[in-house]
Amino acid sequence: MVFRALAAPTRRELLDELRRDDGQTLSELSAGLPMSRFGVMKHLGVLEEANLVVTRRRGREKLHFLNPVPIRLIHDRWVSKYAEPLAATLSGIKRELEEEQHGAVPRGRNRAASR
Amino acid sequence: MEPYPEAGIALHPDDTAAVFEIYIKTTPERLWEAITDREMRARYSFGVGTESDWSEGSTYRSSVPGVIDIAEGENVEVDPPRRLVQSFTALWSDEVRSAGTSRVTWEIEPVGDDSCRLIVTHSELSKGANGEIYGGWPQILSGLKTLLETGEDLTTPGSLRYSGVASSGG
Repeated sequence: MVFRALAAPTRRELLDELRRDDGQTLSELSAGLPMSRFGVMKHLGVLEEANLVVTRRRGREKLHFLNPVPIRLIHDRWVSKYAEPLAATLSGIKRELEEEQHGAVPRGRNRAASR
Repeated sequence: MEPYPEAGIALHPDDTAAVFEIYIKTTPERLWEAITDREMRARYSFGVGTESDWSEGSTYRSSVPGVIDIAEGENVEVDPPRRLVQSFTALWSDEVRSAGTSRVTWEIEPVGDDSCRLIVTHSELSKGANGEIYGGWPQILSGLKTLLETGEDLTTPGSLRYSGVASSGG
């Protein structure tokens, strides 16, 4: 649902707009787009269903907020798998370089030892 | 899933807020425990535990003792397992410290038979507030979901940056 919501340029534009200035009313959001109020409302509905936009009342206004959590979940589900070995490699390289600098351990042995 | 448009706190006039929402397969009681138990909290909050007696009007402190202080404040409203309102003063750098006190509202709503919606509203932020102050919530909530649904820690880089720091001696 998140991917479908992000597939339309107008909806990405709405998210950009909220990222720039979070907590806007429908009127404020419509003002910045060449589209009817009803059109914007429909796009906001899709974003709300995907939980990318959440609303809060403030007095008589209904404000729209960007909810970044579903995108974080996607990151944690798929990207973390790739980021972790990278982070491990980088810290391994750092350790190797630091040890080399101190002239403590020959390169080959160091690599074996860090396993 | 149909959103529940009328749920959640109403904001004060001129209030600036950031809102974070997540669905978690768990009970309100388990979720409340995960928020208020020091050890559980640390497992999804960068390794940082939160200490309090959780009575209304009591204070809390989020820190790794001797390593870093993250936040402190008052438990303004405590209504387990539904609602927790806290004042929030960030402590981890001079920059965030200077932003002063904001407010964090945790709301738990049961959804369907076996799930909850958790809404964290970080409000009373100054206009153009430093994004660092509320920027950690997505990662925290993602880790909370992982912990409650799988019993595992989320190990995305950075998620456990302070865990094991304090206890490295033992």
